[in-house]
Amino acid sequence: IKQINHTCIITVIMKRSNNEDHCGLLKQLLESSPVSVEINKKGFHRELVTTVELIPDVPSGVRVLLVQRWPRGVYLDPYQLASLSDQRDWQILLDSGIDLEVPAHKTSGFVTYVYPTPDGPTPSLVKVTIPVHGRYHEPSFDGKTFTSVDIEPPELLLRTEKCAQLNNLEPHIVVDAPCTPDNSSTCPWVKLLHQQEQGSGGFQFPVGDGSLVTPVCGGTLLVTMICCVALSKYMWEHRII
Amino acid sequence: MERLITKLTEKQVLFTASFAVRLALVAYGDHQDRTMVVKYTDIDYHVFTDAARFITEGESPYNRSTYRYTPLLAWMLTPNIYLSMVFGKILFIVCDVLSGLLIYRILRLRGLGSETARRVCSLWLLNPLTMGVSSRGNAESILAALVLGTLLCMEARHLMWAAILYGLSVHMKIYPITYALPIALTLRTPETRSEEERKRWRSFIGFIGSFFNRELLLFASVAGGVFCMLTAFFYYMYGWEFLHETYLYHLTRRDIRHNFSPYFYMLYLTADSRWSQWLGLAAFLPQLILLLVASWAFHSDLAFCCFLHTAIFVSFNKVCTSQYFLWYLCLLPLVIPHLSLSLKQGVGLLLLWFAGQGIWLCPAYFLEFEGYNTFLLIWLAGLLFMIINSSILIQIVAHYKPTQTAQRLKVE
Repeated sequence: IKQINHTCIITVIMKRSNNEDHCGLLKQLLESSPVSVEINKKGFHRELVTTVELIPDVPSGVRVLLVQRWPRGVYLDPYQLASLSDQRDWQILLDSGIDLEVPAHKTSGFVTYVYPTPDGPTPSLVKVTIPVHGRYHEPSFDGKTFTSVDIEPPELLLRTEKCAQLNNLEPHIVVDAPCTPDNSSTCPWVKLLHQQEQGSGGFQFPVGDGSLVTPVCGGTLLVTMICCVALSKYMWEHRII
Repeated sequence: MERLITKLTEKQVLFTASFAVRLALVAYGDHQDRTMVVKYTDIDYHVFTDAARFITEGESPYNRSTYRYTPLLAWMLTPNIYLSMVFGKILFIVCDVLSGLLIYRILRLRGLGSETARRVCSLWLLNPLTMGVSSRGNAESILAALVLGTLLCMEARHLMWAAILYGLSVHMKIYPITYALPIALTLRTPETRSEEERKRWRSFIGFIGSFFNRELLLFASVAGGVFCMLTAFFYYMYGWEFLHETYLYHLTRRDIRHNFSPYFYMLYLTADSRWSQWLGLAAFLPQLILLLVASWAFHSDLAFCCFLHTAIFVSFNKVCTSQYFLWYLCLLPLVIPHLSLSLKQGVGLLLLWFAGQGIWLCPAYFLEFEGYNTFLLIWLAGLLFMIINSSILIQIVAHYKPTQTAQRLKVE
């Protein structure tokens, strides 16, 4: 019986140290994986490229989740994302429906969950390119021709099946988020307490000049009235009796 | 060259060739979609297909955001899900070629010779713009076929069919409602000589009374009945959302994003101000005045009147996209044989029209894809485009010779 007890104790100690190894590895990954954000293209149709550099040998079972909070000045087109789904290896989950046409000040921001390679092993370099579109903003009345929309880098969330006690990874926080892109269940994920200041990205979008409202209205109505009167005159002169 | 044109416009060759070219474009479009980044198929086609998919799952087509059409269109496209994605495009190109056939029949009814009618038809059938639009999956050709069908039936005095097609076309898109006034003016009892000498108020009552004749009441009740039945049926199926997305959205639409309309910048800058309602009304007045004048001046030539109506409606509308141009381009072949413009003048006007669009597209491209603030330039280009459109319409009106003139000349 003593021998059996010894074996039991040894097995338990080995399991716990394995667990601790995985949890320690997770903490190490979390602290040493910089997340950087880059904005490509110009105009109202841009691309947000998020890059995460994990350690070269990512242990199997580690899953990555990028939680991005978007301001109301931009939007993603869910139909565009769906049509591009066969050209990319990441999947995205949106937290709410998106109105594609409303101007910025009449809507609110939203949150996306990006899962790189959900069906395969996590690579050591995660690069996700998301097509983003700018909304129309309120016209400016102080002479500024552009408006800025700032975007903070996404939060990196990690989890692994092999580390059960995520609470031990202090000081990092445990949050609940969807396990998979189909949003069928929620799992605990661990995220960094202090997000690294990798420099948030910013978009610049042109805005209308509100101070010109009187000449624009006056000019538009004048030209349309002149065209209306001219066309009416000719139509009346050449009417078919 | 002359022989080539004659050969190309022989009846069987023309219609078969135009259908074959469109079919080839659909096949090419399928290939481009699968192999290249820039897609051939229009985004609207995907909107229709998604809405049709919702219908096959027993849900409302309005679950698909930006689906702003009648449920009838999504119903017609359900074979896209059951049979093949390309069914809708085949339907659109068939309607496109059918529109060409209807143009031919209307021209023949208005007294044009077979060869001339076919040559004019080829302006629509062999036009790369119309070929591209229908093969890319735009549903405009269905409406073109319905409107041309209405005009053909009116020309042939088959009022029942004209009313049914008219009710159907108003159900599909609101703009044909503007044809109601010229149609009413055409169908009312014409004034006799003696009535013209009556006193003012008597002639006014007589004018109102002339609208109450059998033909007009029949037309109004059949067209109104078709429209109300369809509206009631779809309201029963899909509720308020159907009314809002199909009709109310288009009536109250204030798209502040850049488009060809001269009013775009004005509406963008005043979108949240207390003047926006009044400005919207001020923008509606020129449209209304011109439609009333056009109806009264040209109602005796229904095809020309409808062309003018639609061209005015589109040019003076608060929102104008290139899709709208097809609404009046399908009626242009009916007008062309009666224009006394020389070929040089005609081509000049056409180039002017394209130049107006090009001048607008330049700053619009720089705004949307390069991020420059070109709002003022876009606004000015929009005003210029309105001036160009008005000038072209004035030229068309000034050089239009209705068929009666030809007959009068013959007698003399």
